[in-house]
Amino acid sequence: MADIVFWFVAFITVFSAGMVVTSKSLLYSAYSLLFTFLGVTGLYIFLWADFLAVVQVVVYIGGILVLIIFGIMLTNKITSVNISHSSMQKGVGAVVAIGFIASLGYMAISSPWLQAANTEPAETTASIGRLLLMDYLLPFEVASLLLLGALIGATTLSRKDEDG
Amino acid sequence: MSNLESLKFFWPELILSATALIAILSDLIYERKDSHKVSFWAIGGLLLTFITIRLFGGSSINGLFMGTMALDPFSEFFKILIVLSTIIVMLMSFNSSELDGYRKGEYYTIMSIMAFGLVMMTSAIDVLMFYVAIEIVSIMSFFLAGYLKRNPNSNEASLKYVIYGAFSSGVMLYGLSILFGLTGETNFFAIKNAISQLGPDSNLALILSIVFILVGLGYKISAVPFHFWTPDVYEGSPTSITAYLSVAPKAAGFALIIRFFNIAFGSNSAMGSDEWSSLNSLPWPFLIALLSAATMTIGNLVAIQQQSVKRMLAYSSIAHAGYMMMAIPVMSQSGIYGLMIYLFMYMLMNLGAFFVVMYVQDKFDGENFDAFNGLGWKMPLLGISMTLFMVALTGLPPTSGFVGKFYIFAAVIEAGNQYYWLAFVGVINSVVSLYYYIKVVRHMYFEGERSDIVSLPESKLTTSLVLVLALPTFFLGWYFSPLVEWANNSLNFFLGI
Amino acid sequence: MITGNFYTDASLVILFLPLLGFVINILFGKKLPRQGDWISISAILTTLVLALILFAIMLKNWDYKFSHEVIMPWIDMGAFKIELGFWVDNITIVMLLVVALISSMTHIFSLEYMKGDIRYNRYYAYLGLFTFSMNGIVLANNLMSLYIFWELVGVSSYLLIGHWFEKNSAADASKKAFLTNRVGDIGFFIGIMLMFTAIGSFNFQDVFAGVSDGEIKGNLLTLAGLGLFMGAVGKSSQFPLHIWLPDAMEGPTPVSALMHAATMVAAGVYLTVRLFPIFTPDALVTIAYVGGFTAIFAATIAITQNDIKKVLAYSTVSQLGYMILAVGVGNYTAAFFHLLTHAMFKACLFYGSGSVIHAMHHSLHNLHDHDTDPQDMRNMGGFHKKMPITSTTMTLATLAIAGVPLFSGFLSKDAILAGTLYFVDQNPQHMILAFFGFGAAAITAFYMFRLIFLTFHGEPKMPKVFEGIHESPSLMTAPLVILAALSTYIFYTLPINLIPWKDYGWFTKLIKAKDSVVAGTPSAKEIYDGVHYMHDLALVLSLTVASIGIGLSFLMYYRSTISSKSWAKRFGTFYRLSLNKYYFDEIYNRVFYQPFLKFCNIVAIIDWDLYDKYFINGFGHVTKLLSKVTGQVDYDGLDQTLVDGVGRSAGGLGKGLKNIQTGRLQNYMLFALIGVIIILIVQYSVIL
Repeated sequence: MADIVFWFVAFITVFSAGMVVTSKSLLYSAYSLLFTFLGVTGLYIFLWADFLAVVQVVVYIGGILVLIIFGIMLTNKITSVNISHSSMQKGVGAVVAIGFIASLGYMAISSPWLQAANTEPAETTASIGRLLLMDYLLPFEVASLLLLGALIGATTLSRKDEDG
Repeated sequence: MSNLESLKFFWPELILSATALIAILSDLIYERKDSHKVSFWAIGGLLLTFITIRLFGGSSINGLFMGTMALDPFSEFFKILIVLSTIIVMLMSFNSSELDGYRKGEYYTIMSIMAFGLVMMTSAIDVLMFYVAIEIVSIMSFFLAGYLKRNPNSNEASLKYVIYGAFSSGVMLYGLSILFGLTGETNFFAIKNAISQLGPDSNLALILSIVFILVGLGYKISAVPFHFWTPDVYEGSPTSITAYLSVAPKAAGFALIIRFFNIAFGSNSAMGSDEWSSLNSLPWPFLIALLSAATMTIGNLVAIQQQSVKRMLAYSSIAHAGYMMMAIPVMSQSGIYGLMIYLFMYMLMNLGAFFVVMYVQDKFDGENFDAFNGLGWKMPLLGISMTLFMVALTGLPPTSGFVGKFYIFAAVIEAGNQYYWLAFVGVINSVVSLYYYIKVVRHMYFEGERSDIVSLPESKLTTSLVLVLALPTFFLGWYFSPLVEWANNSLNFFLGI
Repeated sequence: MITGNFYTDASLVILFLPLLGFVINILFGKKLPRQGDWISISAILTTLVLALILFAIMLKNWDYKFSHEVIMPWIDMGAFKIELGFWVDNITIVMLLVVALISSMTHIFSLEYMKGDIRYNRYYAYLGLFTFSMNGIVLANNLMSLYIFWELVGVSSYLLIGHWFEKNSAADASKKAFLTNRVGDIGFFIGIMLMFTAIGSFNFQDVFAGVSDGEIKGNLLTLAGLGLFMGAVGKSSQFPLHIWLPDAMEGPTPVSALMHAATMVAAGVYLTVRLFPIFTPDALVTIAYVGGFTAIFAATIAITQNDIKKVLAYSTVSQLGYMILAVGVGNYTAAFFHLLTHAMFKACLFYGSGSVIHAMHHSLHNLHDHDTDPQDMRNMGGFHKKMPITSTTMTLATLAIAGVPLFSGFLSKDAILAGTLYFVDQNPQHMILAFFGFGAAAITAFYMFRLIFLTFHGEPKMPKVFEGIHESPSLMTAPLVILAALSTYIFYTLPINLIPWKDYGWFTKLIKAKDSVVAGTPSAKEIYDGVHYMHDLALVLSLTVASIGIGLSFLMYYRSTISSKSWAKRFGTFYRLSLNKYYFDEIYNRVFYQPFLKFCNIVAIIDWDLYDKYFINGFGHVTKLLSKVTGQVDYDGLDQTLVDGVGRSAGGLGKGLKNIQTGRLQNYMLFALIGVIIILIVQYSVIL
């Protein structure tokens, strides 16, 4: 049973990701992205990563995706623009994609992956918090500078300067 | 070492981040037309950083902040290189007429944050840390490349950069996740220990992970075939930023590649001993050797065809990345300090060349070869300096470029007949590069009208900056022992955790 | 004095004084009185005096084993040890004297010749740089500093050949010289690196010791030797890299004299002389063939040239071939001897031609004739009456180059030919080398006298021009007289004997060959005895071929008993080949240069055009934008795209987005991924 659900979730993720790329309308692409994100949430749940699953829903779907859809809707005429796929490079692209899928698939099957000893579901929030504020405090803090820089940059580029 | 204890070794980085904050706050105070004054704060902060780097220099502590950072002479060398080039580029930006009419406050702030990211890249010994550092650098570069927001070329450059950058870092993350899946570790040393326990059945996954990681790191140093963004971005960005992008991220990228590959995928006996090889006989040195040959060849051949000097320099910087990569697969101390020497020389001459291009662009309104016609007669100082930079970039004596190339080639040849072919490709490429570098000199001296009116750049700053870059380029070609010793002493970063 | 040792101090001063002259003149020359020529001249004359003192000391000590080495550490880092230093022995001293003498003559000659040139101060500055770099090569005690000065010689020759760069031909010639030399230098660098890898030192003495200990041997040593020799092929303009030297005539004539006699081209021969002990027998045979072939090949071209300087240029190539041949057959002191005598008479010939051109130029200028070529011998004739000094001195030098007894060239050429005969005697399979040598000797005598007869004798071909010809001023004739005097045998056979066909003077006594350090080569003594044994035969043969050449030339161009035109017709194909220099420039252009450019084009197309042009379709605006990127600015397209579709506020961003949708970025990524796949395949194949 669990296997069937897993494959279903995986299929939704991949299929909607494909839709994001191939859809002719930006809005459809954005909606497809919603299903991709949901699929990923499902995968997190399968991994018993409860905290990440929630964050995925709250941040990606609740925040980023909504922002994207707002962006599309508020932009003049953009909904009616047809996105070209004339440069999809179908032939070469397919070969490359198949090559990657083949080698990655073979790798996934043949490699001795590290496996968690405990397969029982457990609370992860506390340990994530501990890791972020103990072992990985520095990357965590440095990320704040990254966000500050991103904010400054984004306002600089999007600000409407009368005199330039 | 615990987080609190580590703080006292973290002064340079703390000062650098404070610099960024002070810069953005000071921008609030200044009038719009005075916004360039923010750079005084930024440059002051960078100078202070420079001093603190020197003050805390010499010590070697691995595993600051719970094993995410290292403090050692190796990173010190690169930090100094990065801070110096940031200061030089900020000074260059003073006179850039491209930036006229844009707010300057954010420009210097973003540059400071980028410098912080670069500095973190050079000393990270944890996968998570290095990823965050790389992202800082990438995202700040996107903004800087697109800073001229009314210039379509700049916009285009920035957007291409964003998307290509996202693509590369995505692939790299995938590679890192494979690595984590095999080892369960994020610290370089721990990864090494875990890998050495693995059997041959994991080689496939390891190779995939190495290649994917190289996509991300190769993009930072613009190695073929991950170089496609380079010419477009370099051409569209403000020239001062092009200069910066061609030097600082490359230096940090090389520091990271050396550290990551040699620690995580290098054999245990590591540096100091003569037997230094790749872990589990993974063929990554050969891979980098191949990429190196491809990088310099394609960079050079395409550079020959360029009409724009800026674009020519963009391709030539790809070729230079190729020369520098030669030093990695030889897996020897002399290779690594050869690369460090090369990078230092390259910083001076490449910044210098871009500075002259920037000046010509502002002054004579064009970046094609024709814009340089007769420059040598009109402005002898610029002409001679540019000639010097070109000769140095070619790698001919008696300039610093020759010294850098010499050390790298010597290291490659020293490594034995395994890489003779690489040295051969390198030599051929150096000869080819002469063709397009000398073309600039030809245009400056042998084409266009000779003028009897000789002038200096109006601004004293321009003159002195050209001299600051040109004089060391020349004199380091004669007397370079201190630099070599410094690089040589900066090598002991393999202390173990 | 700086170090207390006279040799060290003298070398330092000789080396750096011309450099000082260069620095002062390049920086302040324009502001100095007389544009600073006196600075250069006093610098070079001081070095000449010092070189003479060194020479006198050498004669006084009379010690052929003398040597003095100064080593100054430059970088000392374990495996990388680079030292700078001087190696002074008798060869160095003689060479320093030659460089100082010819360079001084050039400086003095140029006072008149270059008067009023727009870049007078630069000219003198570059002469100083040239002299400095050449002295650096002469004094070097290791391969590394030799290489550095080697490149400096290349740069300064580039500057001097292109001195009149307003003329396209001069700019092209300087580039050609520079680039051709680079080809040789690749080999040179590889040779140096091979030596260094095997032996771990650049120092000559260490290298000799290393080779003798067998640290590098067999084919690798041959390869290293040939690599080093390739540098000499480029610098000394040997086949197949000979193409630059004749074009280098575009430089001012005194520079040609300096370059052909003492500095640039001598460097290659000097290098082979210095490094002789490390060449393996295989390498030496190759060297002998390159030299011998160059000697006869260039001589056949010189026959048909009409430009007075071109004749001299090919004659230089041919004479250099001689020297290289001598090195190849093991008789390297003879090569050095010929380098010395050749320096004197070839410089004299070049100054003489300069004097003639100078006179022609003035005469043509007064007639307001700017179409006639002042260097074409077909416009001259009978100048002997007007320019007796030039004519006499040039004739003396010609007698020397033709190998007539009582002149210096006879002694050195004889030594080379005797060495070749001995070599052929020992290795009969290389018989053809002797034909090269004697054939070139005959042809040389022929074309040199052709030059003399056409220029100075017979009826004036352009009487009007002839009217205006005058002897050059004494500043120009003085060097001619000095050098013509130095072309007689007497200066080379003193103080032991005065017999004009025995060369047992100071040169033979003080410059003795060293044994080769490679196993399987004949010892210096064997070669010396062999040369001695063959001496008489060589003397007879070379006198015979020289008289044939001179006689033929006399009949053809002085008496006109034999018509040169009908001979040219009879050997039509050969005449055309020779006149067109065997089409070498054209062949190089077609075989190397054009395909290389095409190859670059293809790479550029794949990298840039393919993505730009063929993957993009539709979207007119976008295409226009892209073409803007590729250099065709189209403001209309830009405006429309900016306004079109996307709101003004998001204008910039939108434009960028549109651009991305062209697929170019996707192409980039696809290419990166293809790269990854290729890399993966390579990696798997390595590990599996």
